[in-house]
Amino acid sequence: MSLKESENTGVPLTALKEGESGIVVSVKSGYGKAWGLKKRLMDMGITPGTKIKVVKSAPFRGPLEVIVRGYRLAIGRGMAEKIFVKVECDG
Amino acid sequence: MGEKKLVIALAGNANVGKSVLFNYLTGLHQHIGNWPGKTVEKAEGTLHFKGYTIDIVDLPGIYSLTTYSIEESISRRYIAVEKPDVVINVVDASILERNLFFTLQLMELETPMVIALNQIDVAKKKGIEINIDKLSEILGIPVTPTIAVKGVGIFRLLEKAIEIAEKKVKPKKVEYGEDFENAIKRFVESLSNIDLPYPPRYVAIKLLEGDREIEQEVVQKNPNIIPLINSIRGELEGKYGHSCPTLMTSERYRVAGCIVKDVQKIIPPSKPTLAEKVHEITTHKVFGYLLMSAVLSSMFLFVFVLGNFLAELLNSILYGLKPFLTSILGAGFLGELLWGGIIEGLIAGATVALPYVIPLYLAIYILEDSGYMSRVAFLMDNAMHKMGLHGKAFIPLILGYGCNVPACLACRIMETQRERLIAAFVATLIPCAARTVIILGLVGRFLGVQWAFALYVFNLILVFLLGRFAFKVLPGEPTGLIMEIPDYRLPHLKTVLKQTWFRLIEFLQIAFPLIIAATFTVKLVEELGFLEVVNKLLSPVTVMWLGLPKGIGISLIFGVLRKELALIMLASLLGTGDFSQLLTPVQMVIFTIVTMFYIPCVATIATLVKEFGWRKAFIITISEILFAIAIGGVLLRILRIVATLF
Ligand SMILES: Nc1nc2c(ncn2[C@@H]2O[C@H](COP(=O)(O)OP(=O)(O)OP(=O)(O)O)[C@@H](O)[C@H]2O)c(=O)[nH]1
Ligand SMILES: [Mg+2]
Repeated sequence: MSLKESENTGVPLTALKEGESGIVVSVKSGYGKAWGLKKRLMDMGITPGTKIKVVKSAPFRGPLEVIVRGYRLAIGRGMAEKIFVKVECDG
Repeated sequence: MGEKKLVIALAGNANVGKSVLFNYLTGLHQHIGNWPGKTVEKAEGTLHFKGYTIDIVDLPGIYSLTTYSIEESISRRYIAVEKPDVVINVVDASILERNLFFTLQLMELETPMVIALNQIDVAKKKGIEINIDKLSEILGIPVTPTIAVKGVGIFRLLEKAIEIAEKKVKPKKVEYGEDFENAIKRFVESLSNIDLPYPPRYVAIKLLEGDREIEQEVVQKNPNIIPLINSIRGELEGKYGHSCPTLMTSERYRVAGCIVKDVQKIIPPSKPTLAEKVHEITTHKVFGYLLMSAVLSSMFLFVFVLGNFLAELLNSILYGLKPFLTSILGAGFLGELLWGGIIEGLIAGATVALPYVIPLYLAIYILEDSGYMSRVAFLMDNAMHKMGLHGKAFIPLILGYGCNVPACLACRIMETQRERLIAAFVATLIPCAARTVIILGLVGRFLGVQWAFALYVFNLILVFLLGRFAFKVLPGEPTGLIMEIPDYRLPHLKTVLKQTWFRLIEFLQIAFPLIIAATFTVKLVEELGFLEVVNKLLSPVTVMWLGLPKGIGISLIFGVLRKELALIMLASLLGTGDFSQLLTPVQMVIFTIVTMFYIPCVATIATLVKEFGWRKAFIITISEILFAIAIGGVLLRILRIVATLF
C-alpha cells in the first residue's frame, strides 16, 4: 500500500544520490512567492515527465547541481525538496 | 525623403549572446559576461543599414513570457505592447530545447520575428548538429546561424530581419494537443466581442495558463467570462490531474521537444572536455572552496603587483614633470590656483587611481567571461543563506570589487525586493576599485601587502556580520536558488579588453572632472583661509575620536564624491604621493578602514535611490557613516593597546 503510494507520488529530488536520475512526477508549491518559483522551475524545463539527473549534491544542505534538458542547473536544497521524482531503475 | 525607420528588438533566454549582438550592431557597450542575468533594463541604440535608420533594443534575458520577475515584465511589455517591427529571437544553439520553449511563446504573440541561431560554434564543439532549413520550415521563421562574438552571420540576419519587418510576416501558428486546441478555440470564440491589444489566440492561451495580468484585463471588459474560464480549466485539470499552468508549460515543452527531435542530432564527444573537468574541480566539495580562495587572492595579488609597478612608473614620470609645468604657469595667486586645481589634481588622479583600477577591471571581466561566477554562486549558496539570501547574491558582491554601481544593479538577479535590498546593502560595503586604490595604494604600498590582505579579510568578515544584522532587521524566508550554470569558456580576449577599456573611459569621464573640481575647490578654500575652519570643525571626530591628523578632515568630505578622492586629495595637499610623511602606520590603517565603510559614494547613493527610493538609500548611507566612525575609533583604541604590548 505505502509502496504503491510512493510509486505514484515519487520521492523528493534530494533523496537521489549523485549520479542518479529520475523522472519528474510533480513540483509542489505553496502560495504567493513560492508559486512564482514553481513556475520558474517549470519554465526552466522541470515539467512532469522530464528526466532529471543529479550531478552533485553540495554538503551541509547546500544546493544540487542537476542536468535537465541538456543543460546544467543549480537548485537550492529547499526548492529541490519540492520536486518529486520517480527513480529511474533501468540503469 | 527621410530615411526609413525600423525598430528591432533582441529577445531570448539569459546568457545567449543578445548583448554581444547589440554591441556589435550599435557600437555601444552593454555589459557582457558568461553568467545569466546581466542585462536588467532595456537598452537602445541606433544602426544605419542599407538606407534604414534602425532602432535596436536589447532586452533582459528571460525564460518565459510570464510576469513573475521584473525582467519578464519589462521584456513582455515591450514586445507585446510597444510592438517592435521585428523581434530577433537570439537562441543558444547548444541548449535548443529550452530556447525553443521561449520561441514558441514569442510565436504565440504573433510578432514578426527571425531567429539568430547563436553560439553555433559552441554547439558544434558539443557535437550538436542542427538542420537549419528544417527548423526554419517547421516554425515558419527564417533561421540564421550566427557566432555573435566573431560577427559571423550577422549581416544575413539583419537582411532577413528587415525583409520580415517590411512584409510584416507573422510566424506560423503553434499547434498544441487536441484538448488544448479545443480549449483555446472555445476561449477565442468567447473573446470575439472584446477589444484587446493582443492577438485573440494569445489571450486565449494566457487565460488557459492562468496569467493574472491578462485575466484581469479580460475580466474587466467582460466579467461574464469568469464561469467559462473556470469550467474550461476545471475540465483539463480534472482530466490530467495537474494545474493548468503546469499543463500549458508541459505542453509547450512537449512541442519544443518534438521539434528538437526532428531537427537535432547529437554525437557527444567521447572524452569529457577540459571545460567539464574544470567545472568538476571548481565545484568540488573541498577543492572548490580552496580554489575559490586561491582565485580571489591571486586576483588581488595581481592587482597589487601590477598596480604598484604602474604607480611607481607614473609617479616618477608625472612628478618629474612637475617643476617644468610649474615654471610654465608661474607663481602668484592665479598660478597657485591653476596649478593646484588642475595639474595637481590630474597628476594625483593619474598616479593614485589609474594604476589599480585598470588591473582590477581586467581581472573581474576575465572572471565574468570565463563562467566562474555561477560556480562561485553555487559554492556560496549555503553561506549566503545565513544573510537571508541565496548563492546568486554572491555575484553582485564580486562585481562590487570593481564598482558598487553595477553591483547594486546586479542585485536585480535576486527574486524579492527584500533580498535585493539586503544584497545591495552588503554590496555597498565591498571595497570597490576606488577603495582598492586606498587599500593597496596606502596600506599595501607603505605597510606591506599582508596588511592590505588582512584588511580585505577583515572587511569580508564585517560584511558577513552586517549582512546577518540586515537579515535580522529584515527577516523573511530566503527564496531558493534557481540558476543556470553555463559552460566554461576561454574568456574572449577582445571582449574583455574592450569592456575594460570602455569602463576605464567611463571612469575617467566621471572621475577626472570631479577630481579636478575637488582639488580646485580645496585650493580655493585653502587660499581663502577656510581650510583651517573646516578641518577644525571636523576635528572632534577626525582627531579626537579617530586619531587622524587634522588636515585629513577635508579629504574625507571629498571621499563622498568618489572614494579614491580621499587619498587623491591627500596627495594633492601634500604635493607628493609619499604618504608616510604625513601618516603613521596606525593612522593609515584607521583612515583606510573608515573610508572602506563610511559611505557609499555619490554614484552609488544615486543608484540606491533609483532602485530602492530615498528613504532606504538615506538609511543605508547614514548607518554606514555611523558604523565607519564607530569601528574606526574602537579599532584605534584596540590597536593602541596592542601596540603597548609589543
Ligand atoms: N563562443 C561563443 N560565445 C558567445 C557567442 N555569443 C555570445 N557568446 C558569449 O556568451 C556570453 C553571454 O553573452 P551576452 O551577450 O552577455 O548574453 P545576453 O544574452 O546579453 O545575457 P543576459 O544579459 O544575461 O541575458 C558571453 O560570455 C559571450 O562572450 C557565440 O556566438 N559564440
Ligand atoms: Mg545582455
